Amino acid sequence: MNGLCAALRLWRAMASGFCFLVFGVGALALSLTAFPLLTLTAADPATARARVQRTIHGGCAVFLGLMRLLGLIRWELHGGQALAAGPGPQGRLIIANHPSLIDAVFLLAWLPQADCIVKQALLENPFLRRAVRCAGYLGNADPDALVAQCAAALRSGRTLIVFPEGTRSVPGRPLRLQRGAARIALAAGVPILPVQIRCEPLVLSKRMKWYQMGDRPAHFRFDVLTPLPPPTRRAGESEALAARRLTRTFERLLAAAPLAPPAAAAGYALP
Amino acid sequence: MSAEPPAVPLPALTREEILERLRRILVEQFEVEAAQVRLAARFREDLDIDSIDVVDLVLELRKLTGLALEPRQFRGVETVAEAVELVHGLLVAR
Repeated sequence: MNGLCAALRLWRAMASGFCFLVFGVGALALSLTAFPLLTLTAADPATARARVQRTIHGGCAVFLGLMRLLGLIRWELHGGQALAAGPGPQGRLIIANHPSLIDAVFLLAWLPQADCIVKQALLENPFLRRAVRCAGYLGNADPDALVAQCAAALRSGRTLIVFPEGTRSVPGRPLRLQRGAARIALAAGVPILPVQIRCEPLVLSKRMKWYQMGDRPAHFRFDVLTPLPPPTRRAGESEALAARRLTRTFERLLAAAPLAPPAAAAGYALP
Repeated sequence: MSAEPPAVPLPALTREEILERLRRILVEQFEVEAAQVRLAARFREDLDIDSIDVVDLVLELRKLTGLALEPRQFRGVETVAEAVELVHGLLVAR
């Protein structure tokens, strides 16, 4: 039994490594072929960006399909209609907790158009930086300018994904959000779609390595919650106070996601 | 973006008065408890003031001191004492 477990772990580690190799090489290959082609033949930058984002959307779906095929992950999506419905004329802000490295990959696989905020390291990553740039994702180097950029994108009717924790969750620690997402929501005045993400057994978390895959598929559960109306400031309330209040609301909504969903824990015996 | 110079000359504020004004802003606009606003307190770690808050804080300080403060002048300011010194120095230099 122990031998079987060890063998399974080894297989999953290798399969995981293979997936991330495919991810990196795939992103680089697209960056050197499809993205320049799509960009150069587009009539304007907005069209170019839309094409690149749609290609990334497809690529993410393929990547997740591969991970599922290799028995690394499974997932369920609840309330997906709200994601598929697309933004209204004023755009929408999607916020989610961030348990694993591939949370954004799921959301991008479900959203044909989505802007993201990426950390500076991704803008410098040799495999991903061209894709990130072609897709027009926003770097997080200058927080103040970033809020204005994000608000402008949202007001023009775009969908923006933000993980308000600013980084992946620390397992076992209470959810703690930065206030940037609330600042963006207040500046843009757009509806907010909260998404709870759970993963059991947890993989690709902040403190884990890419090869720590466990002995059964990681089960992801996504719950798209009821949208929040565009936030407003109360009379006499400063932006700073409103951002604190809204951040507490976000915390309450997203913190309801324990890292071990009871429903998913059962039912996955060893193959 | 620079603030209008104050119409009437402001009284030179002492460090204690600057600290008091800063404390009032932090309590009223940033949910900080008055007792936490000590000279040694660090904005980010102790008072939960993030980089976007700093921009708002500087605008509030502008109103309360009449100084044409800019957020970039606050880059590198980590503690309440440093903020008080910065404002005091600017008031003296004016």
